[in-house]
Amino acid sequence: MNNTLIHLSSSPFSSLSCKEGLDLALVLATFEQPVDLCLSGAAIALLYSGQNPNQTDGKHLYKLLDGLTFYDIENVYVEANNGLIRESDIWPNYQALDTPSWHALFSQYQHVFRF
Amino acid sequence: MRPFLLVNSALTCNKVQDSMQYALLVTGSPYQTKACHSALKFLKAALLNPQHTPIGVFFYEEAVLIGNALSQPPRDEFDLRKEWAELAKAHHIPLYLCIAASVRRGIVNETESKRYELSQHSLAEGFQLEGLGTLVELMNTTSKLIQFR
Repeated sequence: MNNTLIHLSSSPFSSLSCKEGLDLALVLATFEQPVDLCLSGAAIALLYSGQNPNQTDGKHLYKLLDGLTFYDIENVYVEANNGLIRESDIWPNYQALDTPSWHALFSQYQHVFRF
Repeated sequence: MRPFLLVNSALTCNKVQDSMQYALLVTGSPYQTKACHSALKFLKAALLNPQHTPIGVFFYEEAVLIGNALSQPPRDEFDLRKEWAELAKAHHIPLYLCIAASVRRGIVNETESKRYELSQHSLAEGFQLEGLGTLVELMNTTSKLIQFR
């Protein structure tokens, strides 16, 4: 069985990339494929609570985060020293990795997709 | 931006000895990136080697625009869609477009056109609409999956 890392690096509101990456993660999980997520750059905004997108901004992807566990998606990684992680007002269930662990992360999977 | 990104190295020794079976995942827009062009070049080069067996190409995100039959490049420009369709037909390689990504972007086949009560369909010949489950199947039946974004 393949294990897959979905790397989100696009803003959740500037394009469909973030959403379509999450869609792929959910489909993989539905097919019982082990899948983890990692976020960098503008995609980290996905973790900020207090978002209030209207219909023109697209779907409220933050709401999807709490549902990941129902798909057995348990690991959501970010790089610890990225400068974008807030101390508060952020979805709490991510795992911060130090830089060496972050770099090592990408070689631990058979598939890595970037969105 | 790099034209493509090698993403998968799930090699199986037996498969490598016989032939390298792999699939392509193309996600970059045919208009904003060179992802579709690079994937096409890669596929042409790979097909020159009999030990390489591409078993399918899956287009996702903006790359599904490649399958829009209504887009017409200027006559003095490269017809990317036609090149893809001809190469795929010649080598019996299926070209899959993600159905959700396609319908969202106005690329519908006859079935979807009826489902949405539209008066026309726009899927180009040589392409087919499939769900992401087909991508999962490609991931599980090939030695490598290579993303172009």
